Amino acid sequence: MTVAVDAPIVTEQRTKAPVGRLLRSELRFMIRRPRTLVALGVLAVAPVIAAIAMSVATTTAQNGNGGPAVESVASLVSGNGLILPVFLLLLSLAMLLPMLGAMWSADALAGESQTGALRGLLLAPVGRLRLLAVKAFGVAVLSLLAVVIVAVVSIVAGLAILGGDGMLTMSGNVLPFGESLGRIALLAALVTVQVWAVAAVALAISAATDHPLVVLASTLGGIIVFTILGNIPALDWLHPVLLTDAWESLGDVIRDPMPTDGMVNSVLRAVCYLVIGYSLALARISTKDG
Amino acid sequence: MTIESEAPAASAAGAPARLAARTRNLRKVYGKTVAVDHVDLDVPVGAVLGMLGPNGSGKTTTIRMLLGLVLPTAGSVELLGHKMPEGAGWALPEVGALVEGPGFHPFLSGRDNLMRVAAAEPRLASKDIPRAVGQALERVGLSAAANRRYKGYSLGMKQRMGLASALLIPRRFVILDEPTNGLDPAGTREVRAVIADLHAAGTTVLVSSHLLAEVEATCTHVAVLHQGSVVAQGELTELLEAGDSGLLVSTPDVKVAVDALRDNRIPAREAPSGVHVDLAVTTAPDVVATLVRAGVAVHEVRRQRTGLEELFARLTESADQGAGLSEVDTFEEAR
Repeated sequence: MTVAVDAPIVTEQRTKAPVGRLLRSELRFMIRRPRTLVALGVLAVAPVIAAIAMSVATTTAQNGNGGPAVESVASLVSGNGLILPVFLLLLSLAMLLPMLGAMWSADALAGESQTGALRGLLLAPVGRLRLLAVKAFGVAVLSLLAVVIVAVVSIVAGLAILGGDGMLTMSGNVLPFGESLGRIALLAALVTVQVWAVAAVALAISAATDHPLVVLASTLGGIIVFTILGNIPALDWLHPVLLTDAWESLGDVIRDPMPTDGMVNSVLRAVCYLVIGYSLALARISTKDG
Repeated sequence: MTIESEAPAASAAGAPARLAARTRNLRKVYGKTVAVDHVDLDVPVGAVLGMLGPNGSGKTTTIRMLLGLVLPTAGSVELLGHKMPEGAGWALPEVGALVEGPGFHPFLSGRDNLMRVAAAEPRLASKDIPRAVGQALERVGLSAAANRRYKGYSLGMKQRMGLASALLIPRRFVILDEPTNGLDPAGTREVRAVIADLHAAGTTVLVSSHLLAEVEATCTHVAVLHQGSVVAQGELTELLEAGDSGLLVSTPDVKVAVDALRDNRIPAREAPSGVHVDLAVTTAPDVVATLVRAGVAVHEVRRQRTGLEELFARLTESADQGAGLSEVDTFEEAR
């Protein structure tokens, strides 16, 4: 157990590791996690399956075997592949993407705390504010990556399998290809911000517990409760503070002209949740026992 | 050597720079449970200090407060001359620690786990990370298993990983909380060898353990914790000697010896194997000279040394009875 020392190991005299190195290390670590790989894999496959399913349904409908409802959906989708990313982004925002954001947040602090690895970072030392920033960055980048994967794969799958070179809007006209992509990018950005908001709240819970499952359960439970509350008209006074209540307005990207009020409102709400989530997380991690 | 009650003022007046760690009046309360109370711990630079105590005596809590992982309810902590937890950025890069068992990710290999720890290490230049990780793995004998997943490591290998991360770069102060947990006898010897290497290199080491033999074999200093308080601390040899200042004389002339000693105002009594002499008021050479002058045939004279185990038992038991202080005060020795 002796080591020949050829050159001094310590050549730096700083009190903090370079932040770029910490961020790279965190991302590499998160992306190599088996559950992350599985989740991203599912996100990449789902749009292809959805595209094939729609294509089959369309073909069946064109052969005259489907009912009127199938035919109307089919007529909307057929040759209108760029509607697929919109459809899938909105669908995955309902549950899948928030769940992934919450999962990454849960692993970031509660999970690391559970294995004891968080202590290793605190002892290095990584300051607590810095630690939270690094963790929040990792969760944010992965959430963005997840949304981008859904968007890109479904654009490709939609164009390849369903065809078309423009987007038929809910207003009845067809947007040119470039503008369609712009609308999809806008929707992806809006969805990402919403996932970040959910993940920020999850990170606050994650800072307060050593059990990642608690984080996941409470975040998903919260989303379900919010959705239910949002569907009770008698509680309409409560709706403006519900994050999920603003998600419906994101579908406005396929209207022409595009109403922006709902989108701006949804972003503002998300920013409120982000600020509250990160503030609580910081307050908790500052005094958390390592 | 200090005993917890009056000593702090004296040592505080000394040069604080000569202490690798210092706590004053440290207290930690979890809810209604007092985990640590009135802990005044001094870790001299260059010492190997064994922190002894039964399970739940506050060893780990004290260490976590030393390292700034836990905020004390009251009291102050200095680590390498920096106030904790504010000075963590200055103190902790020079401190290697293994606290509450190793904490690594099961899906990464041993090497990748250490790479991750190394990335957060302020004193490591990025280009030196792979070399530092390789050396640390070699030092704890994990080079062969470095690329296997941590999940498949045995308990002993996991413990070695914790040691490797504590020794990733040369440190001024190494804190090991129960380092031999889960290690086989060979592993235990290796940990001892690592501690001896560190000591030889001038590194200060703090080892917590409930294994007395472990501490007796490796430490220069001891601090005994009991129910959240330090009941004794100081150099190991002094503590052991102070524990019993007796001399055991083997002689066939027991009666003559006892009489001769008592005539010279030296307390002595018959013991199963000869004469037991109390050294509280005299020294060993005086005793021998007195016996020789009295014509007593002396076969053997030896210092009666308390084992650490006995000392420890007495300290923790007397503290239990609440009558501990008078007992403990006998360890307060001339500096």
